[in-house]
Amino acid sequence: MDWISQHRLEIFALALIAGGVWWLMPRPARLPKFVGLLMAICGAGLLAGRLHAAAGPKAQSLLFFAFAAAAILSTILMITNRNPVYSALWFAMATLSVCGLFLMQYAPFLAAATVIVYAGAIVVTFVFVIMLAQQSGATIYDQRPRQPLLAIVFAILLLAALLSTLQTSSAVDFQFANRHLAAVAVEPNSLSRPPADQYGTMLALGRSLFGDYLFAVELGGTLLLVATIGAIAIAPRRRGGSL
Amino acid sequence: MPPSVQHLVLWLIPLAPLTAAIVTAAVGPTLLRQRSHLPCWLGIAVAMVCAWVLLFSIVPGGFTAHGNSPVVASGYQWIDVGGVNVGVDLHADAMTAIMLAMVTTVSLLVAVYSAGYMHDDRGYARFFAFVSLFVFSMCMLVLAASFLLLYVFWEGVGLCSYLLIGFWYRKPSASAAATKAFVVNRIGDFGFIIGVILIWTTFRSFDFTVVLGHPDHIAQVVAAHPDRITLICLLLFMGAVGKSAQFPLHVWLPDAMEGPSPVSALIHAATMVTAGVYMVARCTPLFAASPTAQMVVSGVGAFTALLAAVIAITQNDLKRVLAYSTVSQLGYMFMALGAGAAGAAVATFGVTAAMFHLITHAFFKSLLFLAAGSVMHAMGDVIDMRQFSGLRRRLPITHWTFLCGALALGGVPPFSGFWSKDEIFASLYTAAHAPGREGYFWLILISAIVTAFVTALYTFRAYFLTFWGEERFPVEAGAHPHEAPPVMAWPLRILAVFAVGIGFVIGPTALFAQYLHHTAGFAEVAEHGVIVGLMTVSALVVLAGVALAWLLYSRLPALPRKFADEFPRLYALSLNKFYIDEIYVTLFVAPLRGVSWLSNWFDWHVIDPIVDGLALVPRALSGVPLWMHNGLVPSYALIMWLGLLGCVLFAMRLLPY
Amino acid sequence: MMGDLESYLAVGAVLFVLGAIGFFTRRNLIVMVLSAEMMLHGVSLTLVTFGRLHASLEGQAFTIFILTVAACEAGLALALVLALYQRSKSLDVEFWTELREPDLPPPMLVDDAGQMPMVTPPARFPRLTPAGRVPENLDTGDRELVDDAASQTADVPTEPPQPKEVIKSVSH
Repeated sequence: MDWISQHRLEIFALALIAGGVWWLMPRPARLPKFVGLLMAICGAGLLAGRLHAAAGPKAQSLLFFAFAAAAILSTILMITNRNPVYSALWFAMATLSVCGLFLMQYAPFLAAATVIVYAGAIVVTFVFVIMLAQQSGATIYDQRPRQPLLAIVFAILLLAALLSTLQTSSAVDFQFANRHLAAVAVEPNSLSRPPADQYGTMLALGRSLFGDYLFAVELGGTLLLVATIGAIAIAPRRRGGSL
Repeated sequence: MPPSVQHLVLWLIPLAPLTAAIVTAAVGPTLLRQRSHLPCWLGIAVAMVCAWVLLFSIVPGGFTAHGNSPVVASGYQWIDVGGVNVGVDLHADAMTAIMLAMVTTVSLLVAVYSAGYMHDDRGYARFFAFVSLFVFSMCMLVLAASFLLLYVFWEGVGLCSYLLIGFWYRKPSASAAATKAFVVNRIGDFGFIIGVILIWTTFRSFDFTVVLGHPDHIAQVVAAHPDRITLICLLLFMGAVGKSAQFPLHVWLPDAMEGPSPVSALIHAATMVTAGVYMVARCTPLFAASPTAQMVVSGVGAFTALLAAVIAITQNDLKRVLAYSTVSQLGYMFMALGAGAAGAAVATFGVTAAMFHLITHAFFKSLLFLAAGSVMHAMGDVIDMRQFSGLRRRLPITHWTFLCGALALGGVPPFSGFWSKDEIFASLYTAAHAPGREGYFWLILISAIVTAFVTALYTFRAYFLTFWGEERFPVEAGAHPHEAPPVMAWPLRILAVFAVGIGFVIGPTALFAQYLHHTAGFAEVAEHGVIVGLMTVSALVVLAGVALAWLLYSRLPALPRKFADEFPRLYALSLNKFYIDEIYVTLFVAPLRGVSWLSNWFDWHVIDPIVDGLALVPRALSGVPLWMHNGLVPSYALIMWLGLLGCVLFAMRLLPY
Repeated sequence: MMGDLESYLAVGAVLFVLGAIGFFTRRNLIVMVLSAEMMLHGVSLTLVTFGRLHASLEGQAFTIFILTVAACEAGLALALVLALYQRSKSLDVEFWTELREPDLPPPMLVDDAGQMPMVTPPARFPRLTPAGRVPENLDTGDRELVDDAASQTADVPTEPPQPKEVIKSVSH
């Protein structure tokens, strides 16, 4: 009880987000969308305020908030939109926002790769498939979610658990982790630990990938080949050879 | 010969046919096809060469020297549990060598003959794989160094016999005959294994050298438990009765003629059925300690010999006549084996006579079966003697070889059967003169002489009915029945030479008796002179039988019919094999059917409902979580998510430990 | 209190959970696949953040592998979706319940039972004005598809009936 009364604002914020998502869920009776959006935004904002991400210079903090808010909102809209085409577009938007977050974490190559692979290739494939398979007009299954209340409650419960871990155990455990790493004499994967001035550069990442993870890279390439063959084999075809 | 070479020769004898069997089974149906006989021939030929080498090298210091020293070649430790200690070891002495030489020689000739007889059969490769496997099992049976190993291959030859009787398994009669042979043998083998276990509890060992090689130890056991040895011997003899088709377990052998003729010649005349005789002969030191058991052996043998001979007179199926004659001749061998009840000295004499008859019988009986197979081959698989006659011009080789075999079987002097049968008479005569059991052995001797008369009668009845009289063929034979091809004719000729000559060469010259002396555990025995009076009686009786057969079935063919009409009861009794099969059906099969029907009913109406009722419980319980298994992937994912949630909460110590 | 890193972790957790919600609740196969990709995004973000925490690039390397696997997964999943669509002419996941216990009825019958009227009109995509003649060599499968769509839309009162040629030319 004590814990709940101490964290009532966080709980309220999470409940707001959950309510917003539930409100936005596609359903036959049309509810005004902005109410759900407003609830979700308020909840997310409240949560962000409570969680208090204050470190770093001002500009970076602002950028972070912008990207994070964009990612979360796009995701909410993606999972709730009744039209799969819009869902795919919101997915692209969320991907771009996540790429922004990557950039801010010294992962420029990753950001570029994600944009190329996701926004450039995967989303396009999705749109193609939607055009091939989607029936014109809204269908029943796009308008009726399965067990929305149950799913949202359980999902938000896990989110609450994760966030409270972050909030309560952060300072102690992270210090411990760093000290622990410093104490290890011989580091495994030494190529993956570049000096501070090289962190995040293509050079360092390439060294890590083709040094420590060479075999995994080869395996990944093989996996891609196999998946390509598999997709070609699975994809249905007709007499003319077209899909 | 150095021991290592001798061991190699010993191991080659069983392993060459085994290799042939494996090769034929593996690549025969696909690669070899009509050449499947080649590995079988090669394997058995190697075994035969080794067996003959063994025959001339096993006896130390020439024939006339005394003493014996069995060669034991150790394989590997098979069982080593507590006090039980059994190895796969080979044991070779004079008796083994004689048996092996006979088995491999006859097997090779039969295998050669089979290549012609089984030509174009669908199961050509299967046949030769089975035959090779049989030769392996038979060699191992003869070579086994312990009772347990002997039992294993005792069952092994039984299995091969089953497989080969039921070779044409699409024929219902063949599969029924195979099952019958297997089941009847089970009864005997049941006694045999109990006897083997009893040997272990008595002697604490399975090894021949331990059990049979110490006469003083056997004497101690007889002194301590007077009935123990008798019980062991009777149980072992029960196994022999099953395997060697003696009364009351003889019923399977005539039906086993459903198999291919070479199989009848090899397994059901020459080799496997003599395994019982071999086993009793091998256990001579045990049997010699129990006169009661020996009298039982002798009595059963005499009764079976007479019974089977009487049945054989009226059978119309040529192969069945030969089958009953096999039963009868095996009875002779048991008669001789039992002669030792009159004293230890007679025991060795009787065993020698039995083994001698075993060897000669193997040659002339396999010859007769192969010749009958040749007749069958020419007659389009018809074997009923009422459907053909006068074949001597069309099938000259078959005719002459069959005649050789018939003369030997009938015991006409100087063919081989005469000499071996005379040895048996002589041993019985000696037993009848020894003090103690004169009356019993006189009875046995008289029945043996009567059987000799009947044997000559039915043998030549079959001969005259088949090869003399007007020339008639069944429709199945086609217009011109053909003589056997060379691949079948040459084994017949070679076997005919054996059937004619082997008795004369090794019998009267005492070559055989001198050689067999060297068998482990045999008592020394004084020379027995030829009993001329007995020989004369035997020859006269046999000639009378042949003459009667000639009179009845060649000169006055109407007479037997009239005789049968005159005494219909007697005729029907013999024709229907004394109704023994019918008696068994009434006594054993019908009650068992009733019991099985009852247990079937019990199973269906009592046990099954109980089990079904128990099965209802989990079914009812499973209804509770059933809704979760709705087949939807998101639903399963949600349940997984619950598990994940639980794990996270547990890691955060929010859940009670 | 949370610092810089923890904010990123929080965003990763939120993305993961929202993707999961989408996966649980949506019935459209394509949107489900999209939601799964969203969950991967959340995980990627978390990995990159942890890598920065330990001053190592292992997190980023892992993320690249995740990217690879995600590409494979998307390709295969979409091929499967197309194959399923070929069978059922529907993207509804509730159509595919072959794994359920044999005693259970299919959820479609319980849930919809056909009594669910189509309330909203189909989304209005911008249409091109029809031009040229109607193509002749239409595959039968597509014709059925068009007919299905037409019969579905025919129930809706608010949708003005459209000439068939227009629909055909638009959908190709």
